[in-house]
Amino acid sequence: MTGSQAPGLRAGTYLRLLGIFYRNSLLNEMEYRLKFWANVGLSLFWLVWAALSVRVYFRFTGTIAGWAYHEVLVVMGLFFTVNGIHQALIAPNLARMTEYVQKGTLDYLLTKPVDSQFLVSLRHIGVHNWADPLLGLGLVGYGLARGGTAPDAGAVGLFAVLLAAATVLLYGVSLLLQTLTIWSVSSRGMDDVIEGLLETGRFPVSFYGGAVQGLLTAVVPVAFMTTFPAEALLGRAGWPVAVLAVTVSATIFLAASVFWRFALRSYTGAGS
Amino acid sequence: MTVEVDGLVKHYRVQRREPGFGASLRGLFARRYHTVPAVDGVSFRIDAGEIVGFLGPNGAGKTTTLKCLAGLLHPTAGRARVLGFTPHERERAFLRQFTLVMGQRNQLLWDLPAMETFLVNQAIYGVPEPQFRAALDELVALLELEPLLDKQVRQLSLGERMRCELAASLLHQPRVLFLDEPTLGLDVTAQATIRDFVRTYSARQGATVLLTSHYMADVTALASRILVIDGGTMRYDGDLRALVERHAPYRLLRLTLDCQVQPADMAAVGDLESADGLAVTLRVPRAATKERAALALSSLPVADVAIEDPSVEDIIRQVFTQR
Amino acid sequence: MTTRAVPRVYPALLRAAWGSAVAYRGQVVLWLLTSLFPLIMMAVWLSVVEEAGTAGGFDGPDFVSYYVAAAVTNHFTVAWVSWQWDEDIRTGGLSVKLLKPLDPFHHHAIEQLGKKLLIGAVLLPAVAAAAAVVSSIRYPVGPGTAAVAAVAVVAGFGLNLVMASAFSMLSFWSTQVHNLYQLWWGVGFFLSGWVAPLELFPPTLRRVAVLLPFRSSLGFPVEIVTGRLDGRAIAAGFAVTGAWSAGFLFVYRVLWRRGLRRYEAVGA
Repeated sequence: MTGSQAPGLRAGTYLRLLGIFYRNSLLNEMEYRLKFWANVGLSLFWLVWAALSVRVYFRFTGTIAGWAYHEVLVVMGLFFTVNGIHQALIAPNLARMTEYVQKGTLDYLLTKPVDSQFLVSLRHIGVHNWADPLLGLGLVGYGLARGGTAPDAGAVGLFAVLLAAATVLLYGVSLLLQTLTIWSVSSRGMDDVIEGLLETGRFPVSFYGGAVQGLLTAVVPVAFMTTFPAEALLGRAGWPVAVLAVTVSATIFLAASVFWRFALRSYTGAGS
Repeated sequence: MTVEVDGLVKHYRVQRREPGFGASLRGLFARRYHTVPAVDGVSFRIDAGEIVGFLGPNGAGKTTTLKCLAGLLHPTAGRARVLGFTPHERERAFLRQFTLVMGQRNQLLWDLPAMETFLVNQAIYGVPEPQFRAALDELVALLELEPLLDKQVRQLSLGERMRCELAASLLHQPRVLFLDEPTLGLDVTAQATIRDFVRTYSARQGATVLLTSHYMADVTALASRILVIDGGTMRYDGDLRALVERHAPYRLLRLTLDCQVQPADMAAVGDLESADGLAVTLRVPRAATKERAALALSSLPVADVAIEDPSVEDIIRQVFTQR
Repeated sequence: MTTRAVPRVYPALLRAAWGSAVAYRGQVVLWLLTSLFPLIMMAVWLSVVEEAGTAGGFDGPDFVSYYVAAAVTNHFTVAWVSWQWDEDIRTGGLSVKLLKPLDPFHHHAIEQLGKKLLIGAVLLPAVAAAAAVVSSIRYPVGPGTAAVAAVAVVAGFGLNLVMASAFSMLSFWSTQVHNLYQLWWGVGFFLSGWVAPLELFPPTLRRVAVLLPFRSSLGFPVEIVTGRLDGRAIAAGFAVTGAWSAGFLFVYRVLWRRGLRRYEAVGA
């Protein structure tokens, strides 16, 4: 077998690998059914709980930073969606990074003729969590219905683009942080940070005001994950936002890939 | 030439840890490092189809050298080439043609039967189905994997796991095998199984093997040529038999006597190596083995005699102490 | 090991815990960051008072003071021992710990303590500096009350430790304990004073929350240091904390003995 292959064939190989990986993740779970339903129950509980706890704020005011209760619910629904995507696709890989480094599994991964970034970042899925994004979208729908707003096709299209960009963005940010694990940081702590950052996406960024709002838009792009897609559905955002979102997520994705390669150079002791 | 290594150097930067409360707090902000030379100018060549044993005490630089050859470490200086590739560039074409097995590490999926790992590796290496089946059948037969295939990896014994590990690493029929302590922790039978397998496999596939092991028996059984490394530098490179002759220009005469003999009476035969009751071991010059044996039979009350080479362990130990 | 020998072992083990905590400096930064999470809630409340003026008698500076104290309190009272218990029991790591002459409970407690001291060494000076600069951070209490608040923090940590341990003991029988504890903790998250100071809750909900164990590790110490509780309320708070601690300690010890018998019988 030679190293030169048609690019099309490459992509096919990666898709096949994903299929095998996901099947393995599923086979791995002996108590799949029980855990899946336990998780759905837990997620529903959190969802309702979160929606109710927001009401405490609205005991004292009708709108917060220009957002009504039902609009905040749309943002919160997106928070659960994005968080669910994180739990289902990203966190299970992040959680294993420390083990890869400590047990030397990373050495094995590096001797494989497949892109190492692919192997460390997409190898596992959280099989019980796949319903979480759907539950989140359910809350989004409830928020919209409660406000009596029906987004038109344009708004939905815009939303789809923004959500896709948000997923890529989340992947990029997570990979950036996951990569730090190579320099002896525990990935358990790293996961806490990512969850903490995501946690700020529970509310519209304008809730935080001033410097923090700027920070969450420009530095830690949480605004692109929940606030902007919600604004698209509520008819508050236009195509420029989508262009910006796609640009930002593509940039972060590339930066993360470059950073991963840089980290590997350090891991293998290039230049030291 | 399958493996070429010229003046390979690998230095590690290690953090200096200082004891004490204040120092630990200072370490949060400023850390001090020092350099450890793990491999310090090593050169050797390996031809296609050779099985070479790599010997040395812990921390000698064996694993570091192996990792450089597998592309996991970037050499600090010097040059390594495997199959014409520079390993640390990790070109796909190179990665497809070798395999690395580390005795104390595990690439098998822990909670699933080993077959699942085999299928993952089939996809990763892009092995076409007929080729995969053929390779798998051969490995299953050689390693006697049939009864293990549908068991969870976590339920396998260490030896069984190692056999599966080897199979997983060889499904893509690599031309070069780097085996780092493949028999570590295994019992004697399991060690022998692995050893026989490596010999058969290399002969059948014409594969080149570089093997490190703590167990001298692995090396003496498999490799005709050995590399001895210590403190990051090469101590010996050559034929196993030549090593024995060079460093042990003597053989051992093991005698079982009928009655006690004074040591002075045996001096003419050889130097006394050890004595345990009536069992006596004498050291005789290699070239004069026959004459001395005859002398022993004629001058001493011998019930039984055996002629042996000193163990390779002893010889290697001698190599290490001659710094 | 006798109970009397335990206090003598603590300093030595604490040194080790401190050492391993210091070794990973990246981790220290992460812990510091996660300590700041309560400030998210503060930001939201500041937006609310911006539109509403005050909320239930709280103005902007009140919320700032409340949540800064909450961040510090939360850091010291949180006890993430449940996943460690769980892992030990399920993977058999417990067997190794049982060989040592120290109850595993103390192992977990000390490990937590080591981290807390380290982060505290950074966090407390930072908060003191912030309080000196930012005029809206104000704690109108004397040193005596502040000391009482500190005792409340320690008591809150103790309660969290035994509570988490009591739940973890169920791992001897079930694999779903983590979910159960999360659910419990989710309720507590809301009723501890994290989402909102309990004074802002509807009165009925508030009366319930004051009797539950969650306030002890967050709202209670914060309310003391912000000068919102009189002597009677403070005594009542300590009574609630003490009662729940005793209850969970009892449950933990009973389940521990039973679980251990089962664990040894199964031969894990």
